[in-house]
Amino acid sequence: MKGRTVIAFAIVAAVLALVPQFLNGYARSLLYITVLYVALAYAWNVISGYAGYLSFGQVTFFGLGAYTTAISVTRGNLPWWEGALLGGVISAALAVPLGYLMLRLRGAFFALGMLGLAQTLQVVANSWQLTGGGSGLFLPPGSNALPAYYWTLAIGLLTFAATLFIDRSAFGLRLQALREDEQVASTLGVQVTTTKVWAFVISAIVPGLLGGGYAWYLTYVEPVSAFATRFDLQAVAMTILGGIGTVWGPLIGGVLMSQVSEMLAAQYPQAYLMIFGGLVVVLLVFLPRGIAPAVSAALARHRARAAQGHR
Amino acid sequence: MSAPLLEIENVSRAFGGVRALDGVDLRVNQGEILCIIGPNGAGKTTLFNIISGVMRPSSGDVRFQGESIVRWSPQRIAAAGIARTYQIARPFARLCVRDNVAVAALVHERTLERARRAAQDVLESVGLATLADRPAGSLTLTQRKRLEVARALALRPKLLLLDEVMAGLTPTEIDTMAAFIEQLRERGIAAIGGVEHVMRVVMRISDRIAVLDFGKKIADGTPAEIVADSRVGEAYFGTSLDDVGAAPPTKGHS
Amino acid sequence: MHAALIGQLTIDGLLVGGVYALSALGLNVIFGVMRIVNLAHGEFVIGAALLSAVLFERWHANLFVVLPLAFVLAFGLGALIQRAFLRRLPEDLASAEATSLLMTFGLSYFFVGAWLTFFSGNFRSVPYLTGAWTLGPFSIAQARLAAFVASGIIAVLLALLLRYTALGRSIRATSQNVQGALACGVDVERVRTLSFALGTAIAAASGCLLILIFTVNPETGANVTLASFAVIALGGLGNYAGTLVGAAVIGLAVSFTGYFATAQVAQAAPYVLFILVLLLRPAGILGKSGA
Repeated sequence: MKGRTVIAFAIVAAVLALVPQFLNGYARSLLYITVLYVALAYAWNVISGYAGYLSFGQVTFFGLGAYTTAISVTRGNLPWWEGALLGGVISAALAVPLGYLMLRLRGAFFALGMLGLAQTLQVVANSWQLTGGGSGLFLPPGSNALPAYYWTLAIGLLTFAATLFIDRSAFGLRLQALREDEQVASTLGVQVTTTKVWAFVISAIVPGLLGGGYAWYLTYVEPVSAFATRFDLQAVAMTILGGIGTVWGPLIGGVLMSQVSEMLAAQYPQAYLMIFGGLVVVLLVFLPRGIAPAVSAALARHRARAAQGHR
Repeated sequence: MSAPLLEIENVSRAFGGVRALDGVDLRVNQGEILCIIGPNGAGKTTLFNIISGVMRPSSGDVRFQGESIVRWSPQRIAAAGIARTYQIARPFARLCVRDNVAVAALVHERTLERARRAAQDVLESVGLATLADRPAGSLTLTQRKRLEVARALALRPKLLLLDEVMAGLTPTEIDTMAAFIEQLRERGIAAIGGVEHVMRVVMRISDRIAVLDFGKKIADGTPAEIVADSRVGEAYFGTSLDDVGAAPPTKGHS
Repeated sequence: MHAALIGQLTIDGLLVGGVYALSALGLNVIFGVMRIVNLAHGEFVIGAALLSAVLFERWHANLFVVLPLAFVLAFGLGALIQRAFLRRLPEDLASAEATSLLMTFGLSYFFVGAWLTFFSGNFRSVPYLTGAWTLGPFSIAQARLAAFVASGIIAVLLALLLRYTALGRSIRATSQNVQGALACGVDVERVRTLSFALGTAIAAASGCLLILIFTVNPETGANVTLASFAVIALGGLGNYAGTLVGAAVIGLAVSFTGYFATAQVAQAAPYVLFILVLLLRPAGILGKSGA
């Protein structure tokens, strides 16, 4: 990162860290949800936007992180953040072999493979004693919201930084090359398997870490909400709205839609599904590249005009 | 003569019941230009797929610089010095032209910045430098063909596999491409070109010509020998040998 | 384990397999022509299933009324979706496959929400043919047998359509080679619309039969999509004979896990099989391996 980017990044981080002090509980919860959803969208964007492997089951790792934390706290007496860290470690450790297996599948096979994986883990969580079955696990309540927010913010910022790095690095170029044409990428010397497994691990470790914060924030974990495929629908819709495979897409889409998403999901779950599902369909027809590329094109035009004006 | 750069030994490949390649032997020496001619479906692309590691042969062996490479991954083969182009150009459509080439340059360059600079140099050499920032998907057919070659060159290959590079080009463009292939010889890069038509050019630029017909190699020799071979006339050129006869028989390179 | 029990579960599984085969055929018709895996397939199946449950509750409408009705409605809906959305997918955003997956993924959730709104989240079934015939040590549920037979009839009709009608020939030509079909004067755009409509209608038909056997709610659509896709994965994409084998395997898996574990675990069974097969034989059990 260049100096100016680092400074801008530090200012934004500081503001986001200080803001909750001036907010009431409701506004804080909205802020938390926004940061969480943006971070999840960024994680999805790595494997699906940059690498082109559409995953409709990254929530697998989110649920895994949430349950790891809940189990660590309730049965292992660990501090919650250690459990959350453990959730990230387990997600990463699982993502390596899983990536080697699943990324041999393409297109619909991979997409449905991941979707089914999330559903299968939901069944496991529902049927297993360790995970508390259908009623789930309860964590000690208290002043959990603020620590969960800082945890989520830290991971969100790291994920954003990782995306910036990916977008400007050789690794990112290789990812995009294999997204465009995997066979050609391999005959041009790209280590396709290693490259995409790395992308998959990044897209797994982030929800794995975030899941723990979510468990601590809600003070309970149960199968349906922990492995809710709506998290993937949401990441898909937000990322497409903002611009799939771009640095700013998940941020734009996430900030614009997190509030709506949360409100609808809580109060009108049916309408939520119709609106978000319908939005994906409509966006693909009318704004397939999303907002970010449109904005950067407009900025480029503006700059060109300004440059001409100076002459 | 030193050991050949590439040796293909008794390579066969079947799809279902169809033998796309049937016991093909082939050798390419350092800096040599070999053209494989044969009609569409003769097995040229299958052969390129096998050499570049995209496909494994059903039987037989491929050795590059003395080492068997049939079990190697495509990326390992590319890094070892065999580059290929595709019959139908396959650019990374949403990446810019420079980045298309930089992907390949990354095999030798450690940073993206240096790879992009190396890519720019290669683009200069194939005449695409002015289009470096354009998305590759916006290139014309001819430009795409050049981009295919540029990406392959960025790998700094010892052997270049050119699958139907002449197809779809105008006569002028064919001459440009032919001149380019002849330059390879001076740079010490060997090349295997797969060609369906344009025999005139093939006769001029090739050191050697191999003829594939229904997966079998039916002839292998200098252009002069190929023209003289009656089997080739029957199997491939049919009754019209005019196309070949019109070309200068051979331009000695020895 | 008792031999009679194994036999009973095998019969049950094979009969259910018939319905899975029909559902998978619908998926296969669409894939063949459009190279699209319709992730909203299960939602069309479930939509028809719930519709027939509601019509049965209200008016005791039987299968002979409901199935044609659902078929026609779904046909229209499918044509509409193809015309309004799928046809207008951007071509340069990503691979055609990726954009179509994203779109049908969006569609699937849209319809889950729509069905929840129309039909509520209640689990429904159709207590229509509840009897059973005894055959030696086995009992054959009338509902399962009816579903199996009806699936078979529809599948045969589909095969006849593909083989002997002009539309069928156009569909087969387009499946094999779009350029070739265009060259022969086939209106490919129209064939695509009709294929998507036909595939959707077949999904609806299988939904009307599925609910004779299973209890469903709007959120079980994803399981149906997975099971149908698992059938195809087992049999090989585009391989119609393989579809029957795959459907039998999935039917047996559901039947056996349903008896020995919970119904919920039984729903995960097709998925587990699906993954195992894909990992061991990416081209399916009967498909050709390699490129």
